[in-house]
Amino acid sequence: MYRYDEFDAEMVSSRVDQFRSQVNRRLSGELTEAEFRPLRLMNGLYLQLHAYMLRVAVPYGTLNSTQMRKLADLADKYDKGYGHITTRQNVQFNWPQLTDVPDMLEELASVEMHAIQTSGNCIRNVTSDPYAGAIADEIEDPRPTCEILRQWSTLHPEFTFLPRKFKIAVIATEKDRALVRAHDIGIEIIKNAEGETGYRIIVGGGLGRTPIIGQVLREFLPRIELLPYLEATLRVYNRYGRRDNKYKARIKILVQETGIETFREQVEAEYSELVPLDIAVSPEEVSRITDYFAPPAFKKLEACEIKTKDSALARWMKHNVLPHKVDGYAIVNISLKPIERAPGDVTSEQMRVVADLAEKYSFSELRTTHQQNLVLPHVEISELENVYKALQAAKMGDANIGLISDIICCPGMDFCALATARSIPVSQAIAERFQDLEHQSVIGDMQIKISGCINACGHHHVGHIGILGLEKAGVEFYQVKIGGDPSENTALGQVTGPGFSQEELIDGIERMVDHYIEIREAKERFIDTVRRVGVEPFKEVLYV
Amino acid sequence: MSTLKHKGKGPQALTANTLRDGLNVWLTPEFEWSMNYAEALITEDTALIDKMNTCGERDEVNNLVVGVYFIDVEPDTGLPARYREKFRVKGPTYDTATLVPLEIQKV
Ligand code: HEM
Ligand code: SF4
Repeated sequence: MYRYDEFDAEMVSSRVDQFRSQVNRRLSGELTEAEFRPLRLMNGLYLQLHAYMLRVAVPYGTLNSTQMRKLADLADKYDKGYGHITTRQNVQFNWPQLTDVPDMLEELASVEMHAIQTSGNCIRNVTSDPYAGAIADEIEDPRPTCEILRQWSTLHPEFTFLPRKFKIAVIATEKDRALVRAHDIGIEIIKNAEGETGYRIIVGGGLGRTPIIGQVLREFLPRIELLPYLEATLRVYNRYGRRDNKYKARIKILVQETGIETFREQVEAEYSELVPLDIAVSPEEVSRITDYFAPPAFKKLEACEIKTKDSALARWMKHNVLPHKVDGYAIVNISLKPIERAPGDVTSEQMRVVADLAEKYSFSELRTTHQQNLVLPHVEISELENVYKALQAAKMGDANIGLISDIICCPGMDFCALATARSIPVSQAIAERFQDLEHQSVIGDMQIKISGCINACGHHHVGHIGILGLEKAGVEFYQVKIGGDPSENTALGQVTGPGFSQEELIDGIERMVDHYIEIREAKERFIDTVRRVGVEPFKEVLYV
Repeated sequence: MSTLKHKGKGPQALTANTLRDGLNVWLTPEFEWSMNYAEALITEDTALIDKMNTCGERDEVNNLVVGVYFIDVEPDTGLPARYREKFRVKGPTYDTATLVPLEIQKV
């Protein structure tokens, strides 16, 4: 786990005091709404369609049991008894009152959490692989790098008022579980030909109204150069990013308009002017931070497999459980996608169950995923059945990770002030239509992603099937994209044509799925078949 | 400083969020704020609309409400004309709160 150092603790607690006084001054009228709004946003507090919304940062998706219990307490004490896991691994509360938020932040600070930089034109919470520290093929645990970035970017004076928000993701495996190519900066931890560990830097990706896949800025960056190089990149963005037009202000537009070669030259020129060692993190400091993430005290266990006659357990292990890098352990994905619920929502009661399970079986460690699920990263294989039973009892035992009902879905018009249509009921209808788990298994790997407006918080551009909710003359309709891919083979889906009503949409998806099953070859996944035959045949069955 | 002044068509209602708890409210015929849209003042009378405007500005300055604006209302149904405003009236069509026992919930 990361640990707050004294600086963090003091900074966060003084920030709470500061915000409390700002809220008081707002309530007494000393601050107008225009003055207060940017201050509350800097503390993650939005005003949504029906109420305030507080976004709490979960640094690179890592949480411990104490923190999870605190989130459960906050949900009960200050909200309606639940929270929502976002596609940036954070947690949102939908119903807090302004007058309670300083207390909420104070309680969060007591467990080393906060809501700083979860909004505004700054460097946002860094996201990462939810299996960090547990997955076998990682080059190293990406979290020390994330933590270095967190410390560097937190309240960085030069980067507090960027042209627009700035999102960074870090991975250390070939498999991409953090969508690095759809971030302002994506960082891949890699080894070069000499066997040195360093970074591949990707820049200018993003979703939103102008989806763009990131491009390689630097093929190999030595470890020591990370912060100076990013500092140079952000300086170039800060200087040339379009402040005149909110919709053109992200770094992706700058890189696109400048061209990657020229942009790279600009960065390298800026970089050569820096005195790198001023901000470079020394190897001693790197190793000190890496120690925070020292592996837990794994037991020496034999590699083993579970043979079970319980078909539900077997199915859950097949879809939700992954091999661990340490023999005798496994990674457990907890699905927050039961059919009838809102994807990513988790009740306080469920949070406590998960916190207890983590404490008992996973060294108190937990992760949030950008798929809006949870992870117990280090579970002994011999305990899997116990974990499964407890999850099932708490309605979190769905064996659908990576399947058609494991849908990413933003809050949409049910909660979001920017929405054009609802998204939650669409995901519920899809999950219901495909509720037969056996059939879901037959369909196999499928990523459906739904956004309630062009901001694309629900990642619809990279869904195998992406759905965008729109509205015309008071009627919701849904536009479909096919062929997106959120993996390391990142691809943007193609728009198929005019939109559908919700009912037509679900029928259309079913026809596409049936068509895929009919024509797939060998072990092809839906996305593989789309790649092989193209989007046209799917469009045809969609628009019969 | 106000963002008010209605530019809409047909009957108007005035809406906002309360500053303290952020919940949606509509101005009533008594020039008070209600969380219940059924109690909203809906009118085409320009003199009344001016008065609503003044009232909205006053309550913004008095830190009771934020984000005050006029909405168009459908004459036949009495509901807001815009789709988004219909949702503000109805509330979420799905809220996980319904799964949580009421005694646990704060709001
Ligand atoms: C509820 C209040 C929310 C507001 C006001 C909001 C607003 C926005 C806006 C304006 C954008 C487009 C930014 C741009 O391209 O410059 C955006 C993108 C995005 N948001 Fe949200 N969003 C909200 C909730 C969420 C939620 C709940 C999630 C996760 C489930 C989320 C995750 C994202 C992601 C992943 C993107 C696209 C990535 C990017 O290009 O930045 N947001 N959001
Ligand atoms: S995609 Fe649109 S509707 Fe969905 S959360 Fe983002 S801003 Fe709101």
